Amino acid sequence: MSITVIKAGLQTSLQGAPFTGHRHLGMPAAGAADCLSLALANFLVGKSFGAIGLEITLTDAIFQLNAPCSIAVVGAAAYVRINGHDHPQHHRLRLVAGDNIHIGPSRPGCRTYLAISAEIEAEPLLGGQSTCLAAGLGGFHGRALRAEDVIAFADSESSVESARTTPENLRPYYSDDHVLRITAGPEATGPNMPILDNLCLDPYTVGARANRMGLVLEGISLIASETSNMPSAAVFPGTIQLPPSGQPYLLGPDAQTTGGYPRIAQVIRADRHLIGQLGSGSRIQFVQTTAERATEIYREKLSLLSSWLGQIKLW
Amino acid sequence: MDDAAIHICDDWINIKLPDWEAIIAAQIAFSASRYWTEIVPGIDSIAVQFDPALTAPDEAARMVSKQLADRTVVTPGALPAVTIPVCYEPEFAPDRDYIANRLGIAAKDLPSWHVAQLHRVAMLGFMPGFAYLESNENSPAIGRLDNPRQLVAAGSIGIIGQQSCIYSFDSPGGWPIIGRTPLRLFDPSRDQPALLSAGQNIRFESISKETFEHWQPEADG
Repeated sequence: MSITVIKAGLQTSLQGAPFTGHRHLGMPAAGAADCLSLALANFLVGKSFGAIGLEITLTDAIFQLNAPCSIAVVGAAAYVRINGHDHPQHHRLRLVAGDNIHIGPSRPGCRTYLAISAEIEAEPLLGGQSTCLAAGLGGFHGRALRAEDVIAFADSESSVESARTTPENLRPYYSDDHVLRITAGPEATGPNMPILDNLCLDPYTVGARANRMGLVLEGISLIASETSNMPSAAVFPGTIQLPPSGQPYLLGPDAQTTGGYPRIAQVIRADRHLIGQLGSGSRIQFVQTTAERATEIYREKLSLLSSWLGQIKLW
Repeated sequence: MDDAAIHICDDWINIKLPDWEAIIAAQIAFSASRYWTEIVPGIDSIAVQFDPALTAPDEAARMVSKQLADRTVVTPGALPAVTIPVCYEPEFAPDRDYIANRLGIAAKDLPSWHVAQLHRVAMLGFMPGFAYLESNENSPAIGRLDNPRQLVAAGSIGIIGQQSCIYSFDSPGGWPIIGRTPLRLFDPSRDQPALLSAGQNIRFESISKETFEHWQPEADG
């Protein structure tokens, strides 16, 4: 009962729900960068929204299944091929031992999730199982997968009979153009207030430095009136920092827990899963909102998703 | 509590506080509440995160104000002090001469200079269990290395002056390294995965290379 990695691609790792309640220890969130795509894939194989799946990044990846089980693929992949034949995303696919799963490169978007009905064995860590790549903990030996890795399944296969396919109206639209809503960060107040107007003026493009820790944004250069080095303070996934370069830095799920650059904005929770689909060259238009409105938007989104996925969380 | 010091950012709240005693007191007060999914101390602030499906931002801000008002005073030394064994031998202290030079003291006097100081954990960050420390002595600025290292060994103690740090995992880093501890700063199998916590006092203790190499992990903490 296992799956073998034939081709791992740029970065494939075991990811599920993030670690919570440990940021004061310096523990990053980790977890699926696009939690909505993972949740949709997990649901099709009868699993909880935060169950561990395989997160595949940008390039194509190939696996061989060594046991019969169901799989579902949701994300930015251009195609899904089983034994060389195209199959749709958002469908539960019943496979047999020896089947070859080829997940195409991301186009557009950045990440794709492979959910498997069998229980994936991952290293338990602080109440979770996601891979914490920076510290080399959790997931599969704390690292990204490589060719020839064999990921074991626990004996039990999920017996939940789930629906076969995601309703059309709930399928995410993968794009290289995104609108992300933000609220003002602690250092965007007072004399720094005009920063947000400039941040929201024109789209930013994600630069070459783009990974699970964060993304450099290229566009209008911003200047903080307060100095660029402030006493280190808490940051979260979705926080936008302003380093001395003037190019904003958007933090991803693996970001460190504290930072010394002004925190000018925070991507709202309802939009944060989109960060997982940002890659080099993606364009982002920021739009400012309030924390009150952000909470309403988040609750509306959960309510819409609950009709299909039941009670879930986004992170 | 001055309202201007509280800033709501979507699902987390940043609270500026005047000193570290206030931060630790706030951390203790927030920890007793079920509202917060994360409580993260900074150098001159603390942040709490909430679940916006359950708690609205204005309600969360009210809870912050109330819990801050109810907090009890924390005195220095209220948290248990920790002794950190450090080997200052050159192979564990690649920047010994650089640091001694900047401080204007002989390299052989560096360990005694270092162990004489009392340090406080200002906060954890950067990596799991990575500790930022503040010395009780005003030492001259040492500064960062011109070229950061690709690999700093876990347990290494970096120092840039009054501020120092302990690397919890092998990682890149730019702080000059004065020594290395055999202790594991972060071990997820322990009840308390992180060895240190914000507000704790620590003292360093010089150990030989032999002691370092024969250190038994179960002696940690």
